[in-house]
Amino acid sequence: MIPATLLTNALLVGAVLFCLGLVGILTRRNLIVMFLSAELMLQGVSVTLVAWSRYHGDWGGQVLVVFVLTVAACEAAVALVFVLQAFARTGRLDASAWQALREENLPRVIDHGLPADDRVVPTWPHLSPAGVLPEGDDSRSLERDHV
Amino acid sequence: MQSSAANLLVLVPLLPLLGAVCTVLLGRRLGPRAHVPAVAGIGAAAVVALLLLLGTANQVGRHTDPKHPVEPVEMISTLWQWATVGDARSGDLPAAEAGVPIAPGTAVSGGTFSIPVALRLDPLTATLLMVITGVGLLVAIYSIGYMHDDPGYPRFFALVAMFVFSMSMLVAASNFLLVYVFWEAVGACSYLLIGFWYTKPEAARAAKKAFLVNRVGDFGLAIAVFLLWMTYGTLNFHDTRLADGTIVEGILGQTRIADEAGYVAGAVGTAICLLMLLAACGKSAQMPLHVWLPDAMEGPTPASALIHAATMVTAGIYLITRSAPLFMGCPGALTMVSIVGATTALVAALIATVQNDLKRVLAYSTISQLGYMFVALGTGTMLGFTAAIFHLVTHAFFKALLFLGAGSVMHAMGGVIDMRRFGGLRHVMPITATTFLIGACALAGVPPFAGFFSKDEVLASLHAKAHPDAHGSDHGEAGGRPSGPGIDAGGVADRGVRPFRPASMTSRSTALAARATGTLSTTDHASTPEKVGLDALDHPSTWRLLFWMSLLTAGLTAFYTFRAVFMTFTGPVRIPKEAGHHAHESPPAMTNPLLVLAAFSALSGIVLFFTNALSSFLAATPSLNAPAVLATAVTHAFHPDIAIQGTLAAAIGIAVAAIGHLGRRSDSPQMERYLGPLGALFANKFYFDQIYAALIVKPLEALAMVTAFFDRAIVDGTVDAIGQVPLAWGSAIRRMQSGLVQRYALAGVVGVLAIVLALAWQLRP
Repeated sequence: MIPATLLTNALLVGAVLFCLGLVGILTRRNLIVMFLSAELMLQGVSVTLVAWSRYHGDWGGQVLVVFVLTVAACEAAVALVFVLQAFARTGRLDASAWQALREENLPRVIDHGLPADDRVVPTWPHLSPAGVLPEGDDSRSLERDHV
Repeated sequence: MQSSAANLLVLVPLLPLLGAVCTVLLGRRLGPRAHVPAVAGIGAAAVVALLLLLGTANQVGRHTDPKHPVEPVEMISTLWQWATVGDARSGDLPAAEAGVPIAPGTAVSGGTFSIPVALRLDPLTATLLMVITGVGLLVAIYSIGYMHDDPGYPRFFALVAMFVFSMSMLVAASNFLLVYVFWEAVGACSYLLIGFWYTKPEAARAAKKAFLVNRVGDFGLAIAVFLLWMTYGTLNFHDTRLADGTIVEGILGQTRIADEAGYVAGAVGTAICLLMLLAACGKSAQMPLHVWLPDAMEGPTPASALIHAATMVTAGIYLITRSAPLFMGCPGALTMVSIVGATTALVAALIATVQNDLKRVLAYSTISQLGYMFVALGTGTMLGFTAAIFHLVTHAFFKALLFLGAGSVMHAMGGVIDMRRFGGLRHVMPITATTFLIGACALAGVPPFAGFFSKDEVLASLHAKAHPDAHGSDHGEAGGRPSGPGIDAGGVADRGVRPFRPASMTSRSTALAARATGTLSTTDHASTPEKVGLDALDHPSTWRLLFWMSLLTAGLTAFYTFRAVFMTFTGPVRIPKEAGHHAHESPPAMTNPLLVLAAFSALSGIVLFFTNALSSFLAATPSLNAPAVLATAVTHAFHPDIAIQGTLAAAIGIAVAAIGHLGRRSDSPQMERYLGPLGALFANKFYFDQIYAALIVKPLEALAMVTAFFDRAIVDGTVDAIGQVPLAWGSAIRRMQSGLVQRYALAGVVGVLAIVLALAWQLRP
């Protein structure tokens, strides 16, 4: 392809990645997914940088990408520590659990559109035993019934 | 000698000022010795005043013969230049304004307005300084005993010293603006002293009333000062020299006084004089501004003795005496002074006859005696002016004595001063009783006490004006007599007295031709020029009426004074229960000043009269050396006819008082039940307070309520409403801070988007 077309397509890909990440950070409530979206934004920027670097023939862009990847890795470590601490304090990965720094006379934002948290307990099919029953309790299964 | 005397002059106000400052700074720490700085300051000032008096007397020498005019004595000491405004006058005064004296040598367009802080020493000032510091010292010593258990002990002495400073500066200042400043200062000190016990509502109200009524007078003085500046181009009393060598004649400088055409007559002149009269009425409690003085008795008795008897209330008399040359040009204004004085004297004496509060009797007595002084001042003769100052001096002594005696009684009776509640105190407090009796005799005009002589001179001056031909067997030929304005052409003959300067008719005096005869009068007294307007009051029949009013007042004075004496000190001994263990003679700190003042009251009259010391001393005052005043100088003589009339009036008064009250219980039925409705009129003080309340106080209170409502509802409401605006804004914007991180991030994204869009818009091709 001619370099201009390649550049355009690559920039488009980068832009799409970036926008998806942006939307994800603003919209998703799960802390880990929010972080994932942030990483996605970083990757979008990286693609853009590589595209420009390839276009201009300047290695600077790609060098910067290496830096970005490094920093992203460190930032991931720090961020996941925060997420772990947050989970440890509230037991939830919901970003809207942290509203205490709002103005005093404002009501708490409660999302009434969530589906009810009814955890359906699935019934697994019961096979007739074939062979020797394993050691241990039957009702204690290794699978969790919800994710 | 002259300069050293003038240098000493600054010490007289300065030492009490230092005493006041020390008392303010160290008062609390000195505790029971808080009186020391103030008393020391006033005492030192009294010593200096005595030295100044002797020094000035030395300069004057002795002139007992009025045919030889005395050389006026004055010494000026300028301390510093307070303010100078160059080119203060815009444009010329209209030339059509006849008789406006432009000071010779001053550039007419753009005079320099300069206020030097200058003090002057002349016989009038020296006399008054002696009175102020002397009586001030005695009152301060008395207060050591009277106020000794008062929590505001240091504050009292600071205020008394402050007052002595202000009053000394007032009589020593050589500039009308300075006089105004210290006029206000003594008013402020009076306010502070009347309201000394400010937690007592009546005292606070009385202080406010005194200050506001004085304000009316101060307004008059302010306008008079403005008019003086406009008319004379300067406010100094003395002649000054400008930087470029021109001499600015002072308003009461010797050049201007000697020049008969030096003063403006007509509307402006009369206006200045009447405004000064208004100011004097305010300060000296004459009608219609007398209403503050009786209420001022709410203050401590030593303050009443000092301020409202002896010194501050004499400021008005000082002002008029000092401005005598100004007044001599307006006989109508002079007659108004006498009319005001005589009316006040009579009305106040009538009110005093039915008062039951000893201090109120003395307050109305003060108003009445000040009226006497005004009557004498208004005669416009040398005898009148000197009689007024003589009466001022003797009145200071005996009135201070009476007030301090009343304070002694009040102290012993535990704060009770209603005469109907105690009696027969001469057995309980003999020294107070004796000195009070001496003071009462002096007040009533019993010979040979001080008041007799001074009252005799006042009545004599009135009599001379009332009977212009009766006093002179020697009508001198009028040749050479100046016929400038202000000389009662039918007045006392000059007997060939030459004025200080020969009556050289300058071109300026022709401008006054409309008022004077304009020529050297060689005809007899019958050719009195027709007087117009206010001056038509200056007629012998007016003076006859005033004479009889004064005589009646003398009789009433004797009556109410001795009524008070008999009710308080004679009859069966009665002590009110508030007295407790206080009912005994006062300590020496209080009785010693009483004894000193009693000695002065008894002897000063005889001494000053028969030696003619005071009159000849005062005749050397520059203000009284106006040719018009000098022309009326008479030989000092004892007038037996007047003396007999005065003594008879006093005797009748004392006799009636004795019939009614001598030896009786003080709460026995009063004599005023014979007065009927008149008694109610007198007891209600001629309804002055009620009239003022209806005419002035109530409308002002209504106005105050309206403005208070406006201030609270509209002005405050507006400000509060403006204050609500940020609050409203804030509560709107506050909702943005929800605590949700994602919403914050959204805000950031929106902002970045806005910037990007703006950039793109800017960079569009």
